[in-house]
Amino acid sequence: MELTDADLVARVLVDDDQHAFGELVRRHQSSVRGLLRQLTRTDLALADDLAQETFLRAYKNIRSFRGEARFSTWLYRIAYNSFRENARRRKEFVGIDEEHLQAAHDPQVADPGLRHDLMHALSLLPLHERSAVLLCCQNGLSHDEAARVLDIPLGTVKTNVLRGREKLKRTLAAWGPD
Amino acid sequence: MNEISQEDPVDRRLRDTALYIDDDGFTARVMQQLPTPHHARRSLRGAILLGITLLASVLAYVISDGGRFLVVAMARLTTLPAFWLFALAFCSGILVMIAGVIAATAKAGELQS
Repeated sequence: MELTDADLVARVLVDDDQHAFGELVRRHQSSVRGLLRQLTRTDLALADDLAQETFLRAYKNIRSFRGEARFSTWLYRIAYNSFRENARRRKEFVGIDEEHLQAAHDPQVADPGLRHDLMHALSLLPLHERSAVLLCCQNGLSHDEAARVLDIPLGTVKTNVLRGREKLKRTLAAWGPD
Repeated sequence: MNEISQEDPVDRRLRDTALYIDDDGFTARVMQQLPTPHHARRSLRGAILLGITLLASVLAYVISDGGRFLVVAMARLTTLPAFWLFALAFCSGILVMIAGVIAATAKAGELQS
């Protein structure tokens, strides 16, 4: 019988079982790295560095995981915080709208024939909408869980998801039928 | 799950395009960077405690003229009435149980915090 995430967390807590933590990393590495790749706009090296940082922080702070949320939700929160801290350090939060506009006018980025159009449409969204859409629409978190991960009010998450989804639809429609 | 719509085409496409990322050594890299596990540190602590205890025992044996005090203590115990022996065993059991309960409570509190 396969152990649940809660069982593995308990083993880490009680016995400091690093093999159990390794199993948790194996289970969640894909979703955490996928989320960070989208947040960092497919900067694979940075995304993987942040993912490593996320799991190391999770290990060091595993006693603060109270089991009220899913382990994956708790990990997403750490991942998002790591991303934000890194972005602050790199001052990426400043002028994100200008970046958005530049990307929209970049012919290579806007050409759906060159790369995966949906991922590009997603990368054109502002960070707050992109994060909400990624967590709720791609990773299947509820709005409530996403609000906890992003540390913003529930209503804001709902608004960001709606706006982000509508923008995605408009962008994809403008690029033509799939 | 998401309250808005599970069937939204954009959601569906997003989920479909979320490819599984191969581990490709990622887990191993994370594991290499983990700090030394507590049980390894605990084992070292245990070994040190055991060593000190053994050393103290040897010293006590030498100082007490080949452990004569043990022979004397055993002789005294054998001369005790059965009631006192029973009371001694009972009190020792209670003390061990109290120590166990305190240790379990402390561990539970540590896990909850």
